[in-house]
Amino acid sequence: MKYIIIGASAAGLACAEQIRKEDKNGEITVITKEKYLPYSRPSISYFLKGAVKESGIYLRKSSYYEASGIDIVTGTQVRSIDRKAKTVKAGRKTYSYDKLCLCTGSKPFIPPMENVSGKINALTFLDLESAGIIKKTADKKTRAVVIGGGLIGMKAAEGLSKICRSVDVVELSPRILPSILDEKSAKSVKKYIEEKGHIKFHLGQTVTRAGSEGNRITSVTLKDGKELPCDLLILAVGVRPETELAEKAGLEVNRGIVTDPGTMQTSDENIYAAGDCAVSVDMLDGSRRVIALWPNAVNQGIAAGSQMSGGDIRITSSYPVNAIDFYGLRICTCGLINVQDKKYTDKIIRSGSSYKRLIFEGSRLVGYVLINSSANAGIYTSLIETKTDLKTLEGDLSGTPDPFIFGKAERNKRMKGALDL
Amino acid sequence: MKRIYAIEELCLNCRLCEVYCKSAHSQSKDIIKANKYEEPAPVSRVTVYGDNFLSAALNCRHCDDPKCVKACITGAMTKDKKTGIVYVNEDKCIGCMTCLAVCPYGCIKEGKKAVKCDLCRNDDEPACVKNCPNHALIYAEPGGEEK
Amino acid sequence: MSVNYIPRRFTVIRDRELCINCGCCVRQCSNECHYFSDDGKTVLSQSDACVACHRCVDLCPTRALRIEKYVCDYRENANWTPQYQQEICRQAETGGVLLSGMGTPKPYPVYWDKILLNASQVTNPSIDPLREPMEIRTILGRKPEKLTVEKKGKSTVEMPPQVILETPIMFSAMSFGSISLNAQKSLAMAAKELGTLFNVGEGGLHPDLKPFTDRAVVQVASGRFGVHSDYLNNSKYVEIKIGQGAKPGIGGHLPGEKVSVEVSNARMIPEGSDAISPAPHHDIYSIEDLRQLIWAIKQATGNKKPVSVKIAAVHNIAAIVSGCARAGADIVAIDGFRGGTGAAPVRIRDNVGIPIELALASSDQRLRDEGIRSQISLVAAGSFRCSADIVKAIALGADACYCASAPLIAMGCHMCQTCNTGKCNWGIATQRPELTKRLNPEIMYKRVVNLITAWNHEIKEIMGGMGINSIDSLRGNRLMLRGIGLSEKELEILGIRHAGE
Repeated sequence: MKYIIIGASAAGLACAEQIRKEDKNGEITVITKEKYLPYSRPSISYFLKGAVKESGIYLRKSSYYEASGIDIVTGTQVRSIDRKAKTVKAGRKTYSYDKLCLCTGSKPFIPPMENVSGKINALTFLDLESAGIIKKTADKKTRAVVIGGGLIGMKAAEGLSKICRSVDVVELSPRILPSILDEKSAKSVKKYIEEKGHIKFHLGQTVTRAGSEGNRITSVTLKDGKELPCDLLILAVGVRPETELAEKAGLEVNRGIVTDPGTMQTSDENIYAAGDCAVSVDMLDGSRRVIALWPNAVNQGIAAGSQMSGGDIRITSSYPVNAIDFYGLRICTCGLINVQDKKYTDKIIRSGSSYKRLIFEGSRLVGYVLINSSANAGIYTSLIETKTDLKTLEGDLSGTPDPFIFGKAERNKRMKGALDL
Repeated sequence: MKRIYAIEELCLNCRLCEVYCKSAHSQSKDIIKANKYEEPAPVSRVTVYGDNFLSAALNCRHCDDPKCVKACITGAMTKDKKTGIVYVNEDKCIGCMTCLAVCPYGCIKEGKKAVKCDLCRNDDEPACVKNCPNHALIYAEPGGEEK
Repeated sequence: MSVNYIPRRFTVIRDRELCINCGCCVRQCSNECHYFSDDGKTVLSQSDACVACHRCVDLCPTRALRIEKYVCDYRENANWTPQYQQEICRQAETGGVLLSGMGTPKPYPVYWDKILLNASQVTNPSIDPLREPMEIRTILGRKPEKLTVEKKGKSTVEMPPQVILETPIMFSAMSFGSISLNAQKSLAMAAKELGTLFNVGEGGLHPDLKPFTDRAVVQVASGRFGVHSDYLNNSKYVEIKIGQGAKPGIGGHLPGEKVSVEVSNARMIPEGSDAISPAPHHDIYSIEDLRQLIWAIKQATGNKKPVSVKIAAVHNIAAIVSGCARAGADIVAIDGFRGGTGAAPVRIRDNVGIPIELALASSDQRLRDEGIRSQISLVAAGSFRCSADIVKAIALGADACYCASAPLIAMGCHMCQTCNTGKCNWGIATQRPELTKRLNPEIMYKRVVNLITAWNHEIKEIMGGMGINSIDSLRGNRLMLRGIGLSEKELEILGIRHAGE
């Protein structure tokens, strides 16, 4: 069997490794347009601020791939897929496949702005290459402007604040981290970041145009007319699934690559898709959407890899779970956190610097936001994932969850790992 | 593989497991220095939950199919192929705590990096088990004999 | 609490340099002597309730704790000692009988310490127990008056039921109620491994102990708790408890709040009701009455089990033992006044009864004089602290010994003498679940086995030194004993000569 995986991040690597687990002899080729071996994309902000070295950012040792028989083709852009001939064209070569997996991830979404396109100091912050350039160019004199106050933008801003003179964040929404925080918690997180990171926020704003000298941006103008000096512009408004190849190949695409939610198979039986480019079904509200988070991508990669090599691992549950920290402030979120429907209720527990919001649907937990209170968050996550009826629990959820919230049988299962001694 | 099992019927809530875990995972390996003076203060990998009436010491289950390893965004969380021990490579860990958010047992602790039980990799018997005064923690093969 | 006129007894000394504020002591002390400061960072102690049980001392991972006797001087008075003054104050406050646990702490003479053992020199060579067989197997039960054999040498005597022990040491009666089930279970497991017997006391037999019934002695006491046909038959032998060394002539009272579901089931009484053991058996007013009860028990057990009578060592003990033998008892257990207890009135414990050494010697002598020594086995009880005490007891005439305090110490007891409070930090003399679980039978039975195994080795070594290779040759062998610092009268009663004679 010949397997080709396009993309070498979370989903691509998980897919390749899963195939190798189930098929010891198949030929596995991973093609990535990046010039690096698989690395931790979320770590680039840590790389930027110097918390990890470049050598520490790689997911596996370089000798690992040869030892595992996984061929990684780097710096090679796949141009097209020929579904009839079962080949892909990449660089100058044509690779044939029996099973193909698209793990193309996402591409940055750049809103229209005057005088930004083509400027050498306007960069996205999505890959190691961009992080490397920023790290090289930014220094103590740099005044950076980050467009986008979401996860990527905020991580970029945090990284930059350690090495730059000033950092301004421009966010369209009236609050930061809109995808993981509600209004109240966003306010306190913002305050914390302002104090710790000396980051200035411009909320409810967009950049309309940039001022430049030659091919360098020197300033940006906001919607309200305010002008910010700018030596480095980071474009982190958002991402869109990278579906171009799939679309060209005639696969069904609807916001992301459409797949079977259990097997990750696309509309072509020999082609699978996994990760940030693929649509999955959120088990909590049944919505079909891209859940662009690492654990989800890995699970999809594993399921796709298993299915491709004749195994039977399926996706049983997809839901967003995310943990992130800003200047030591830990934010953990999971499930449905920005829901409006009246069928959802929530409970907020505050004490000191910690904030905990639990979201319920009837007697089930469906989401949480934990700020500086993430101890044992995984127990909440497992309650969400297993759709546990909270009425069956013996303990209260508002404190740090522990095994004693469960009844004796479940508790023993947890303590003893469901094994009889 | 051998794992640590907690027996709540025997747990005294003395929490000596935590004290000895800290010491075993400290720089000095000295119980007083580790628990009192060392900076950064070592974090206990094992946690006793409950009270004097009902308590148990919870430790990493070293799952066969660990969620924390799958969720790790940097490849720092690894399950050793030979020993089955799930451990954190501290050079790679960035402390994002995604592992903590997915561990269904609540066995990963917060620190600058993720902190978790490594079954005292260099010792025959984990420190918590060795020092439990009432044998409420046992180190055993599943389904097999104690020790 | 109002001022109680009594200084505290102990001071907890915490070495701040060693203390890591882990709070182990806070969570272990049932007397609540240790506590956290309001910020939860520092452990503090207040010593008023300390009973010197050493739970905190022994569990402290850095050995930061020490218990010290609190010395608060009173004006010298050899008569009105601080203790009497304090006891008066306590009674003035409560109006009640003073209660305490374990054996008397008073400095009455311990005759074991005034008896020396013999060893062989030149003649009658000593024996090395590591090289030569050494028999300490002990057989209890009524022995036939004479042996008759048929021509081929086979005995024609019908042997009364016998009990074989692999060591002369048995565990004395401690009821479920006075000690925890885990403690009883530990003793049962140890008895099974050691080939000896444990005694369930008067509290009935808990179902969890069913697997150990062939190592169990079951008691029929004045309260008759838990007594039924299965109970009697699920045993090695049955013991009629007349008295207890620590509180001769006194009944027992297990307050209703200690009668949990488990205890009520074992005792066969309603949950929460007081379990009262009357002072006398209301059906025994004479040796003849005792004979009837012994006979009834033998009927109930098909004459298959020896019946023991346990009595406290009191003034005319020898005559009482003789009476018991004549009433048909197969075993008579004599409990000396230093014997332990879960709870006893202090005045009784410290003033009533006589030491086991004297009671044993005079009873053994009396039975010999009457020619009925072989009709019964004598079991001595009432404080054996080491193997030498056992050897001396056997040389004074005991067939076997009941030990309780020593195995309890092996399980963690520190003789704090507050068994009666039910707050035993070692999980022994308590029924509180958070405390009883501290005693893991799997650990504790091994400690008890180790203790008795060690004593067995020592007994063999001492016997070997005397040139004796069977415990039967030691029994009643008073020539092996010499008194030291004893009066003529004491020597006469003990039936031994003075050292140097």
